Amino acid sequence: MAVTLTPPRAGGRTRRVPDRHHRGVTRWIVLALVTVAALVMLVPFAFMLLNAFKSPGDYSNNGPLSWPTEFYTTGLRTYWEQVDFPVKLWNSILISGSVAVLAVVVSLLSAYALGIGRVRGRLWIIGLFLLANMLPQEALIYPLYHFAKEAGLYNTRLAVIIIFTVIQAAFGTYLLASVLSTFPRTLLEAAALDGAGKWRILWRVVLPNVRPTISVLLVFFFIWTWNEFLIPLVMLIDNQTQTVPVALASLQGDRLMDAPTTNAGALLSLLPAILFFLVFQRTLARGITAGADK
Amino acid sequence: MAVPDTVAARPGATPSPPTGKTPRRPRRPDAGYWLYLLPGAVMFLLVIGGPLIYTGYLSLTRWSGVGDPSFIGLDNYRTLLTDDVFWTSFRNTIAMIVAMVVLPTLIGLVLAAVLFDTIGRRFRPRTAAALRAAFYLPQVLPVVVAGIVWGWILRPDGALNGLFDAIGLGALSHDWLGDPGTALPVVMAVMIWVQLGYPVVVFMAALERVDPELYEAAEIDGAGWWRRFRAITLPQIRPETFVVGLTCTIAAMKVFGPIYALTRGGPENATNVPSYFAYFTFFKRLNVGYGSAISMVLTLIIVVVAVLFIRAQNRAERRDGGL
Amino acid sequence: MRRFRSVAVAATVAALTATSLAACGGDGDDSGANVLKLWHYESANSAMGIAWDRAIEIFSDEHPGVEVRFERKAFEQIQQNAGMIINSAEGPDIMEYNKGNATAGLLSSQGLLTDLTAEATERGWDKALSPSLQTTARYDKGVMGSGNWYGVPNYGEYVMVYYNKELFAEHGVTVPTTLAEMTAAMDTFVAKGVTPLGMSGAEYPAGQLFYQLALSRADRDFVNDYQLYANPVDFKADPLRYGAETFAEWVRRGYIAKDSASLKAEDMGTSFISGKVPMIVSGSWWYGRFKSEISYDWDSFLFPGNTMHAGSSGNLWVVPETSKAKNLAYDFIDITMRPEIQALIGNNGGVPVAGDPAAISDEKDRKLIENFNTISGQDGLAFYPDWPVPGYYDVLVSGFQGLINQSRSPEQVLDAIAKPYQDGVAEITRD
Repeated sequence: MAVTLTPPRAGGRTRRVPDRHHRGVTRWIVLALVTVAALVMLVPFAFMLLNAFKSPGDYSNNGPLSWPTEFYTTGLRTYWEQVDFPVKLWNSILISGSVAVLAVVVSLLSAYALGIGRVRGRLWIIGLFLLANMLPQEALIYPLYHFAKEAGLYNTRLAVIIIFTVIQAAFGTYLLASVLSTFPRTLLEAAALDGAGKWRILWRVVLPNVRPTISVLLVFFFIWTWNEFLIPLVMLIDNQTQTVPVALASLQGDRLMDAPTTNAGALLSLLPAILFFLVFQRTLARGITAGADK
Repeated sequence: MAVPDTVAARPGATPSPPTGKTPRRPRRPDAGYWLYLLPGAVMFLLVIGGPLIYTGYLSLTRWSGVGDPSFIGLDNYRTLLTDDVFWTSFRNTIAMIVAMVVLPTLIGLVLAAVLFDTIGRRFRPRTAAALRAAFYLPQVLPVVVAGIVWGWILRPDGALNGLFDAIGLGALSHDWLGDPGTALPVVMAVMIWVQLGYPVVVFMAALERVDPELYEAAEIDGAGWWRRFRAITLPQIRPETFVVGLTCTIAAMKVFGPIYALTRGGPENATNVPSYFAYFTFFKRLNVGYGSAISMVLTLIIVVVAVLFIRAQNRAERRDGGL
Repeated sequence: MRRFRSVAVAATVAALTATSLAACGGDGDDSGANVLKLWHYESANSAMGIAWDRAIEIFSDEHPGVEVRFERKAFEQIQQNAGMIINSAEGPDIMEYNKGNATAGLLSSQGLLTDLTAEATERGWDKALSPSLQTTARYDKGVMGSGNWYGVPNYGEYVMVYYNKELFAEHGVTVPTTLAEMTAAMDTFVAKGVTPLGMSGAEYPAGQLFYQLALSRADRDFVNDYQLYANPVDFKADPLRYGAETFAEWVRRGYIAKDSASLKAEDMGTSFISGKVPMIVSGSWWYGRFKSEISYDWDSFLFPGNTMHAGSSGNLWVVPETSKAKNLAYDFIDITMRPEIQALIGNNGGVPVAGDPAAISDEKDRKLIENFNTISGQDGLAFYPDWPVPGYYDVLVSGFQGLINQSRSPEQVLDAIAKPYQDGVAEITRD
């Protein structure tokens, strides 16, 4: 795609001469500012780390802001055993992973029809799909419980996977359809000339061009589903089917809460999601390098 | 503004058939694409369509969640109109939109551009990626935990007041979440913290579609950072800007988790929002009919906002000669 | 690309095969049941958690052919979804559930809980529990206090004053026995620049202190009116007016910190544990934790001058109507009522309902139980302020935050909490 820069409009700002500044001090100042902002973002995480390895007595006596007096790992261990963490971890990975992949596939297919196929009334269809995102979840709970029970899916992970695939795909469809509506027609026509059908065009032409967006969607869907609480809390009542956040909630009793264990649990719950994000950082970061494969 | 010179086809216009051997062309561009909508549509009807109708029915009943609902017509909606808490919660939604849509999107645009155009290009790309990860991390944190952690920071003997004391500004110490006057602004600040990573990641992914040579060429032409931002970055990532704007608006209107974790709508309803109010009505007051009515009204308002948004987006796309 | 597609297919297949291994309970015929699904939400190291673990062991010894499938649940989950869980085939055979009209009462009125009346008489639970403890076990059309048995409580709880002996000694304060002495003691602390009462405005403690103050002017009739809807309650008259006005006065005089509106109960507890405040007014549920975490000398006394105290039986064992092993469930409940298990509750900082204080070794624990027996014996358990109507908890929190912040007068707060109460009662007594 060639892009022409329009000349500056009258009354526009005067041009600055960028070079010497940018090569020199300015970029370091920018870097410093952004880094400070990023560190501020991380402060709450520092508190979490601080308290995950503190004994309950230490926490009660010295509060959440002190250095731990000892390196206390019992909190982590109790949490691990008490909630049978490996089972919960597997459930969460299974549910979030399935949702991420399924929702991306469904989004891509729908967005292909809406963004490239430009089917009739696509605005309405996009709007309708988005309803899935607009409905407050608490309103969905009673009906979904009812339907799931009728279908024999109450207390199954499949029910949660189906529900979140729809909710996330609504977002994915909208994002991809918006992106695909600006897709260069020339590419499509060239492919059609070569005799490629719709199916081949989708996988050979469209998909490679929206790969960054797809990666982002995978990350988002995984992490959003990972952190979902309300619907899994209602749908998954057995310890064998429950997810990590629901297990985390079991640390909060009727009237008592064990803050250090909660922190240890939170830390454990956080790690898989962070790992997942960091692995995908590479996919996301690929394009930042100049001269990405275009 | 720069206009990408993509082929500007008017919606509905059939691209002129190329010469030479033409594959079988449908008369309308629609045909054949419908199949691709099938999986999404079927699942949508099951998971969203059905429950929406069901909720609509429940909003016309009195029901505690167990046993059988009893039909009462529009009573719930009548009660709703005179319910102070409901109106308060809607007022707070405006604040949530500012905190979750307006500010994160604006800051996110600038940050993404800085990370991509300045740091990514003048330092190692890895630096930009690491910084992006830091901004995104709050999105990964389960919201209940975020609530606990922020509670430590904001409580009267918490880290923030401790910091003020340490730098000799003890007078600024305050019960941040306990005072109805400061609770909402503080919750808004936390929401910006939670939301910021999302637009940054989306916009940076969008910028990857942009040909880096554009920036090079612009720089050689002597365009400063700000002009590059306006002439290249903004137009290129317009679709994503709309998407972020709309999805954040929806999220802001039905925000629940952070409110639940931070303040439970308190103090004295100062931070109550419709979604928490609905949740409270469903599960604490055991008034499922009334909760459904709140949800229906909320959904309706979100739908109206979304429709306006999508129409604006569509107009902008046409104006830009995007398709 | 091909790789992507194969991954997608694999994930789809995995998702579709990931249907749950729905546990099949025993068959419909109860007598042959060989599985007991048991759920509760007490933490493993709490008095109840320890005692019930032992009860499960005893049960397994006595029913060699039966497998006990125990699951510890999130309180939030049971609280929010009990109706849905019990209404399905996936629920437990026996579970712990909250006492009160909005919880056990509601489910019993919808026929979701098994009527335990016959078992209670036959197995003598009705003799083991004092009348005021039975209040929360029996429901008539969903209202507690009379009717059939739908649950069996194992332990009791009540609100008292915890105090830091060392701080009392340091400031020359003695344990008060009347409300006047209590305020005098608090004045002493305030004069020394110490905030005497730890408080949490964002959760239950504020409402419970208000209720304790109101109860200082109340009798059983008021409690029956307020909790069991015997007669309409006038919020603008004593005892509730006295409760709200005194609460506001305590804030004004600095007995309660003005910046405690946003504090959670956990913050109040930790501020007492760390010795920052000399007193808190709160429940017996803290006892075990204080015992294990407090390093200084502390003790408790009953709220001075009151005959009525916030408190009740603890949560209930209930048997869902869908239970596939009802007889086994009754056997289990019976085991939890045995002296051995009750003594375990008492020896771990809990309050047994059918315990003999003599069986308790630790002096502090014994005092906790004796105090409870004193209240229970004089029919002084007044339940909790947020019980009468569903969702009242948050109404009270919001109201008393207004008093702590001094943004509202007692008059306004009483108005604000009166309306939801009246609406709720109208709703409950409608049918």
